[in-house]
Amino acid sequence: MSPQSKRAAPAKSPYRAFYWILIAVALVGIGALVFAVVRARTGGSAAMAPVKIDSTSLRAIAAKATPEKLGPDNAPVKLVIFSDYTCPYCGQWAAQVQPRLMQDYVNPGKLQIVYYDFPLGTEGEHKYAYLAARAAHCGGEQGKYWEMHDYIFGRQSDWMYALTPPVKTYEQYARTVGVDPQKFNACLESDRYADVVTAEHELGVQLGVNATPTVIINERRLSDPGLQDYNGLKQTIEQAAGTGAR
Amino acid sequence: MTEARAGAETEGASAEPASALAPPPLARMGVAVLALVGLLIATYMLLHRLGVVGRLICGPEGACEIVQSSKWATFLSLPVPLVGVLGYLVLLVVAVLGLQPPWARDRRVSVVLVVLSGIAVAFTAYLTAIEAWVIHAWCRWCLGSAAVIVLILACALVDLVRVSRREEAL
Repeated sequence: MSPQSKRAAPAKSPYRAFYWILIAVALVGIGALVFAVVRARTGGSAAMAPVKIDSTSLRAIAAKATPEKLGPDNAPVKLVIFSDYTCPYCGQWAAQVQPRLMQDYVNPGKLQIVYYDFPLGTEGEHKYAYLAARAAHCGGEQGKYWEMHDYIFGRQSDWMYALTPPVKTYEQYARTVGVDPQKFNACLESDRYADVVTAEHELGVQLGVNATPTVIINERRLSDPGLQDYNGLKQTIEQAAGTGAR
Repeated sequence: MTEARAGAETEGASAEPASALAPPPLARMGVAVLALVGLLIATYMLLHRLGVVGRLICGPEGACEIVQSSKWATFLSLPVPLVGVLGYLVLLVVAVLGLQPPWARDRRVSVVLVVLSGIAVAFTAYLTAIEAWVIHAWCRWCLGSAAVIVLILACALVDLVRVSRREEAL
């Protein structure tokens, strides 16, 4: 090695080290950003399963399970429904039976629909059941629960079989119904309402619910929630209204 | 061929003494590395703003989301993270160009770095005050970016002093 090349090394080294540091920081940073994007696309930190709730007592579970309601609290009849966003019959009920009930009974103040989530599972076709329920609640946080409910049910086939958690799809629904997408995302990408949905499911289990949609009127579980015979459901509601019982 | 290499070595040797005597502009290098870190932070915040990265990794309280979704997260119709990305990008480019031989000892580069980072520190101070007294929430990434820009200003000042002293010595 010549004397000249011996002198060259120390002169170049600070720059070389600097560029290596710059490249290393860039690579680490870009890697972290790519990881964050991929993580978000695969569902990120969004809770998609039941969570542990503090108590197993029915009273505590019922207190945590806060159903969504349609119709006045003083309506003479209350229809309680346990439903799952990944259940096709529940989608059918939401699209066909609920609008008729709204027109015939809820809007005139004769009926209140009390809606509980009952996610059927966390795998297979039900893998997004909890996420969908939470998405509806996140919409509800901005006063658009029922709009999100209708959108999620109305487009079941668009998201139920998605390979990755359909967070972006729900966000699109949220935008469409007028929900602030940033606040919605912040909600959905957290575990917010996971405890509420879990409690509602647990309440259903303790009440003996084992299928969806399960409709209960006056503590009586209906064998047909109105999907096959809407007139039968009407008759049950009329009878309940006639007896004045709730 | 041997002669050509020998010639190149001689040429290199004649250029080396000047660069070997001049200390490397470490403060300017520091500005470049810190600007890159700031650029990455601002890009992460911008991607969050665009809804690409979902929830920010920002501790359990969601304070970053509160700050990011506030009306203060927009400046002159531009998302604040975009302002950050552009600002850090300019600082990075100026600092790296300022390390190249024609400008390595150019005082104007140092002045530009001090002015840009000074403006950025003032803007950051304004945003931090908003966090403290208006929003009442602390976004950790914003605080990280604030620390980075303050360090950049410190490095830029050190660089300016170094270049000024060198000019005086000459």
